[in-house]
Amino acid sequence: MWFYEKKLQYPANVRRCDLGMAKFLFAQYGGPDSELSAAVRYLTQRYTMPIPQAKALLTDIGTEEMAHWEIIGTLIYKLTEDATPEQLRAAGLGDHFAQHDRALYPHDAAGVPWTAAYIQATGDPITDLHENMAAEQKARTTYEHLISLTDDDGVIATLSFLREREVVHFQRFGEALMLVKEHYEHKHIFY
Amino acid sequence: MNKPDGKSKGYPGGMRLGEAYVPFQIYGETFDPKTALMYGTLFPDLFRPYRPAHRNQEQ
Amino acid sequence: MYDRTMVEMLKELQAVEFAVYELALFLDTHPADRRAWEDHTRLVNKLKQLRRAFEDRFGPLSLDSESPFPYRYINDPWPWEIQY
Repeated sequence: MWFYEKKLQYPANVRRCDLGMAKFLFAQYGGPDSELSAAVRYLTQRYTMPIPQAKALLTDIGTEEMAHWEIIGTLIYKLTEDATPEQLRAAGLGDHFAQHDRALYPHDAAGVPWTAAYIQATGDPITDLHENMAAEQKARTTYEHLISLTDDDGVIATLSFLREREVVHFQRFGEALMLVKEHYEHKHIFY
Repeated sequence: MNKPDGKSKGYPGGMRLGEAYVPFQIYGETFDPKTALMYGTLFPDLFRPYRPAHRNQEQ
Repeated sequence: MYDRTMVEMLKELQAVEFAVYELALFLDTHPADRRAWEDHTRLVNKLKQLRRAFEDRFGPLSLDSESPFPYRYINDPWPWEIQY
């Protein structure tokens, strides 16, 4: 089970209201390579991991992704906090406002709602770990695109933190992949 | 010629074709916690800051 | 309005907790690495002290932390409402 800790993993600040950037950040809130997808992907796949290292790693990275989802939610909340409906409309968030006001509904940058079709869990640990390594790369690239879309140093610092986490997670999933392959070789299981 | 188990001569470290490999991290230097939080990793070996190409051109 | 000291203590807590988390992920794939384990143990103890000092002064961070009466966990600010 989980206990909530009333604290962000990273002290996420924004310098000013920026509705355009808030709209783009939905990519990482409810898009295909979002933090939400990452959390659900890893916490789903962990049950069918064959070795304790991989069960632990998917649990712990999956949990960290939930903390990242909260950080992205915080950035969007702070960037839109003081906006009027007219301003939201002018920034392309009129359709969001019509359905959700300023609520943090999980959809992507274009308003497409989050779906479990964004993730996979094949039951094959080697395949799933490759998916996760690819997912970390896709999220890293998305963060680079997002960093290029803003000059707010608070937002850039936060996105740079999240981008670096993708690099670390890739390394850990790679290590888990090596451990799973070694486990299968010992057991003479072919993959 | 490749052996039937997929291992072939000439590939370093017994690596096999058709597979991905990631080296294991060796525990080394660490940042202090405040720097680690700022950079997004505790490990200098894993720190890969993003330097956007179009921004470098402007400088 | 909340206390700036609270924000400073929170940031220190975030830094140490981040280091603990990073070491935990390392240990998931390197459970027999003694130096990582030593650093993890040392920082876990530091984190416990920092969390206790924070909670004694500013209230519970978790629903399994002891709270003074009336129950203080619910109090503002929540994490997304803080200017760090």
